[in-house]
Order: sequence, then C-alpha cells, then structure tokens
Amino acid sequence: MNRAAATRRTTLIAVAVITLLVAAPLALGPYAVTTMTRMLAFAVLVLGVDLLTGITGLPTLGQAAYFGAGAYTAVLVGLHITSDAMAQALAGTAVGLIAAAATGWVAVRARGIVFLMLTLAIGESLHQVAATWPAVGASNGLAGMPPITLFGGPPLLPAGFVYWWVLAAAITVFAAVTLITRSPYGRTLRGVRDNESRMRALGYRPALARYSVFCLAGAIAGAGGALWAAQGRFVSPGDLGFEVAALALLSVVIGGAGSLWGPCLGAALVLLVRDNLSASIGGHGPLVLGLVFVAVVFLLPRGVAGIRHRRESRS
Amino acid sequence: MTPVLELRGLTHAYGSLRAVDGVDLSVLPGERHALIGPNGAGKSTLFATVAGTLPATGGSVLFDGQDITALSESERARRGLLRTYQHSSLFLNCSVLDNVALAVQRVDRVAYRFDRAARRFGRTETRARRHLESVGLIGRAADDAAALSHGERRQLEVAMVLASQPSLVMFDEPTAGMSAAETERFADLVERLPDDLTLLIVEHDLDVVFRLADRVTVLHLGRVLASGAPEQVRADNAVRSAYLGSARTDDLFNGGPR
Ligand SMILES: Nc1ncnc2c1ncn2[C@@H]1O[C@H](COP(=O)(O)OP(=O)(O)OP(=O)(O)O)[C@@H](O)[C@H]1O
Ligand SMILES: [Mg+2]
Repeated sequence: MNRAAATRRTTLIAVAVITLLVAAPLALGPYAVTTMTRMLAFAVLVLGVDLLTGITGLPTLGQAAYFGAGAYTAVLVGLHITSDAMAQALAGTAVGLIAAAATGWVAVRARGIVFLMLTLAIGESLHQVAATWPAVGASNGLAGMPPITLFGGPPLLPAGFVYWWVLAAAITVFAAVTLITRSPYGRTLRGVRDNESRMRALGYRPALARYSVFCLAGAIAGAGGALWAAQGRFVSPGDLGFEVAALALLSVVIGGAGSLWGPCLGAALVLLVRDNLSASIGGHGPLVLGLVFVAVVFLLPRGVAGIRHRRESRS
Repeated sequence: MTPVLELRGLTHAYGSLRAVDGVDLSVLPGERHALIGPNGAGKSTLFATVAGTLPATGGSVLFDGQDITALSESERARRGLLRTYQHSSLFLNCSVLDNVALAVQRVDRVAYRFDRAARRFGRTETRARRHLESVGLIGRAADDAAALSHGERRQLEVAMVLASQPSLVMFDEPTAGMSAAETERFADLVERLPDDLTLLIVEHDLDVVFRLADRVTVLHLGRVLASGAPEQVRADNAVRSAYLGSARTDDLFNGGPR
C-alpha cells in the first residue's frame, strides 16, 4: 500500500470515528453518554501514559497524581473562580505540568523498574496529601462544583453538551499527541526508547528528553483530570490513587503501547469493565481486568493495535 | 599544526586489566589513521575511552588542543568527535530514515521541535536522505532498522556518524560483515570524504588499510607498538615479534586469526 492511499484511508477512518462519536448523544441515553464522557477523559490520561510508556519506553504508575492534580484544580477553579470549562481545563493542564515538573526530575534519573517504583511513590505521596489536607476536603474530597459553561453561555446541564465539550477537548489532545509522535521531538523520544546510549553518542542529552516528556505527560494528565471533573463535578482522593494509575497503564498495555488509538480503546474497555460490568458480574471487575491483562500479554504482545499489524503483514 | 586528537598516557583499566595502557598518540587534521592490532589488543576500548563512553582511568584526551577528558560523551559528540561501534548500535524499532535523521536533526537544532511533522522539516529530511543515498540505503528508508541485513546495518552506522557533522570519526571495524561490494562502496565513500575530516579506523582488512590510511599505529596488549607510515610499520621488528608464532609480518597484514 502506498503512502497516499494509506493516508487517505486513515483520514477516512478518522472522519468516520469522529462522526460516530459526535452523533452518539443523539442516539444514546444520558447514562451511556455520561459513561462515554468519562471514557474520553480517561483516554486523555491514557494518551499521556502512552507518550511515556509506548513512545519513550518509560512505563509509569504515577500519572494518576497529575490527573488528580488537574481534577482538583478544575474543581477548585469551578468552586471559587469561574465555571468556564476552558479556563478550568487550562488551569488543570498547567497544574499537571507544574506538578510533574516539580516531582519528575527525581524520577527521570532512574530507568525501568526503579523509575516505575519512583513514579508509584510520587503517586502515593500526592494521594496522601489529598487524603489528609483539609483545604481540599481531605478524605471527603470536593463536591458541589457548579455545572460548567462555555464562552460565557448558560450552564451546560444536559449530559450531551458536557460530552461534546469533553469530546472536542479529547480530540484536540489526540491530535496534539499525534503531531508530537510524528515531529522531530517524537523521533527523539523514540530514539531514547530504543537506544539511550546511542543517543548520547550522537550528542543528545537523553535526560533532557526524558524530563521534558515527563512534564508534557503530566500536562496531558492534568487536562484529563480537568475533563473528568467537568463531568463528575466532584473529586476525591480516589481519583488520584494507585488504582487509576494502574488502570491507565493497563489500558496502554491492552491497547498496544506506542499506538495512539489502541490505548484509547483500551481506556474505554477498562472503564467499561470497572464501572459498568463489575456490578453485573458480582463485583469481579478487577479479576476480569487481570485476566484480560494476562490474555493480552500472552496472545497479543502488541495489544489491540497489534492485530491490525498482524493482518497487514499477512496480507 | 595542532593535532586534532592527542592522547597522553591514556589508560583504561577493567579492574586489574589495563586494556588501554598509557597510550600516546597524535592524529593530525585530515589524516587517515589506521589502528591495527590482534584481537584483544584494546582497540575498541581505546575508541570507547576517547569517545567518553568509558572513563579514562589515567592520562588525558585532547581534542583540537583542548583537554576533553572530563567532558561527557554527548558533549564530545557535539564538538564533532564521533565513532561507530564494532557491534552495530542502532535504533532498531525506528525507521532507517529516523536513524539518520536523529543525527541530522540534532545538528540542525530541531530535535525538540513538535510544531510540525518531521517530514515538513525539509532541510533536515533532505540531508538525511542524501546521507542514506551515499551509503546505498535510500531504497530502505521506510523500513525498520531491525529489518536490515548485517552489512546494511554497518552502512547505516556509517551514514549516522557522517550525518552528525563530525570533525573526527573513529570507525571500529566498519567493513566487518559487509559484502565485497559493500566494502568497496565504503572505501569509495571514505575516499570521497572532505579532506578536512579526520579519520581513525580500526580495520582488519589490510587491503582497506593500505588503500585508505596514510599512517598506521599498531596496538598490542594496550600499548602502542609502532606508529608510522604503512610501509615502515610493515617492516617493524617489534610488530613482527608481537605476533607469536608468525615469523612474518605478512600474517598480521593478511588478517591472521580474527
Ligand atoms: N567490558 C569488559 N570487561 C572486562 N574486560 C573487557 C571488557 N571489554 C573488553 N575487555 C578486555 O579488554 C581487552 C581489550 O578488548 P578490546 O575489545 O578493546 O580489544 P580489541 O582490540 O577491540 O579486540 P577485537 O579485535 O577483538 O575487537 C581484552 O582483553 C578484552 O577481553
Ligand atoms: Mg574491537
């Protein structure tokens, strides 16, 4: 398949998927729409995890911390400053970035399992802060955030409107991450993933690349958190706990690290099992996710995204 | 004329084994300098110590007259001191073009840009492709580096280093694993390199050494045994006796045991 044809096919699929996503609230009930909104916000977090794990080769368990930082920021902004969704999202992004910049420089000195453990430690520390600090509601979290508004309009009460806003923001993040992976910077990140010592021999400072992408992933997680809050209008320490971080990493593994659409599907699947199926299968959601994880590792080493690869190389 | 590279008593010890043992060497600008010696002589260790991959445990490295012994490997590379690896070190899950473009984009100072897709950085892409062309890999630009044959990987190494805007290149057995045609292409390429580029080559193929080198240094057990014009080195008695069991230097120059 030549490149022009491939590009045309990709564009076609993208247009079809976006059309379906935009049309979804017209056909679905509010419960389904709310579920999809949460999936989209979670997918934004997962995109940041994928940027670290799949593109740069740094599996992380700390991104929930920055997701939480973004969510808390958005709720605080919503409670005290403005109901404008755009302002909340930008504030969440900025705080995610700052939090990652402040904590990441420790983590990026390490690689592999040590890096994973350090990010875990960062995540747990921030979780502790959120769970004990009275100013952010301690273990109760923050509730009562007013509904979001856009461009000075009326409060967006119907689920569909919130969904459209979150969808627009998620598509923007997806496009931005796509651009990053295709840019010279994305190439630098892949170089760090594949062969860090060779990067050094070519005159690069891999630590700089690792730190910058850590900050970027923190910003993306912060945006995801703000979108999550826009829908729930509530945030609690559970939103930045270990479980969220682990599910985000799981989504990347299931979807196929390094692909972008695969982990987004993974995010949807993981949330579906946790929030919607778990009740109907007797609370065994985590067990099912564990089994899915094992199955993916053994059957689809490159995740859901790998299925397409396999088909293409066979044909 | 100040030497491009000057080694003063350079030493690298793996524990108690002094693999590079007090090496003095100077390489003048534009020189094609071959480094030869039996297996285990310390050639690769010498390269790694000069490049900064391994720390010097003694002595110093001067590059363009400046002491760079304390500088990091990446800083040395940014100053134009580059090397290839005896065992190819590539970005295997990246495309062949990406491998070379990584070198070019660092030189072009666009390695951290993400405002456009990489292929829209015309200057960088064009230069990367030109380097691939010069080693005959342009047809494989879109393939993963992992898909390359051993010989092609060697060619890609050469392209990556030349794309890094070097002023001194150290080639560690560049033609090992290349086919005869690929070796010929490599020798041609080296002959066509600009005169102000300085080369230090570890090479077992003596045809290549004599075709390319204007000076030869023989390393043995981490020490310099002889250094001079190729013919002079070939006739050296010390070089001869260093190769136990071979009465004739020709055995050395015919490759000997690899
Ligand atoms: N990582 C290491 N740890 C310990 N000893 C090493 C290491 N690498 C090399 N050596 C030893 O150092 C000596 C020099 O090795 P080196 O690879 O530099 O030789 P060389 O001249 O490049 O040989 P060849 O022609 O086989 O490539 C050898 O005795 C080798 O066994
Ligand atoms: Mg060697």
